[in-house]
Amino acid sequence: MASNMRRNKVSAFGGEGAPEIDYKNLDLLSEFITETGKIVPSRITGTPAKYQRRLSAAVKQARYVALLPFCDAHK
Amino acid sequence: MRHYEIIFLVHPDQSSQVQAMVDRYKATIEEAAGTIHRLEDWGRRHLAYPIKKIHKAHYVLMNVECDQATLDELESGFRFNDAILRSMTLVKKEAITEPSLIAAANAEEHKAAKVKEEAAAKAEEESAKKKDSAEAEVSEKKTEDSE
Repeated sequence: MASNMRRNKVSAFGGEGAPEIDYKNLDLLSEFITETGKIVPSRITGTPAKYQRRLSAAVKQARYVALLPFCDAHK
Repeated sequence: MRHYEIIFLVHPDQSSQVQAMVDRYKATIEEAAGTIHRLEDWGRRHLAYPIKKIHKAHYVLMNVECDQATLDELESGFRFNDAILRSMTLVKKEAITEPSLIAAANAEEHKAAKVKEEAAAKAEEESAKKKDSAEAEVSEKKTEDSE
């Protein structure tokens, strides 16, 4: 039974009052990257594919303008 | 004409020139009948990773509406300006005028710092007053003692 139990996947995106996925929204993006700076897979976070694509694009834009790190081995 | 969001990073040593640079870009955009919908100066921010061995940079965000020729001019300007470390241009669907999250956070921090400063100044004043009154009391007592 326990092996069949799945966590209910709830996404905060879509619908009214959803957070805006933008490279400037660092608080939001930081929820979807690991401590090492990697993007967390949607199978872990339960994000729908549509929003995962937007998230990953936003993270990459934020990385380019040095708002987020590429990895933790910089310097 | 299209809507663009431009963000560029200025070398921290050239921070004082930011205003002049922004004015120049403004002039080029307005000359070509474009408009600036949002202009934000985030000030010096810590970089998530060093660029050209620099750890801090001055961020400027602009949301503009202009034609391709003007954008090309701006971008080549960024490329050949040594003070600009990096720039990014995004195409947007509409004009964005409300302050961005980072600018809002900056303003909030500024406010908090100001409030804190004011509170500290007030506390200092009060403590000074208390000290004065305490001293006055002491001196009064002394006069009583001498009598």
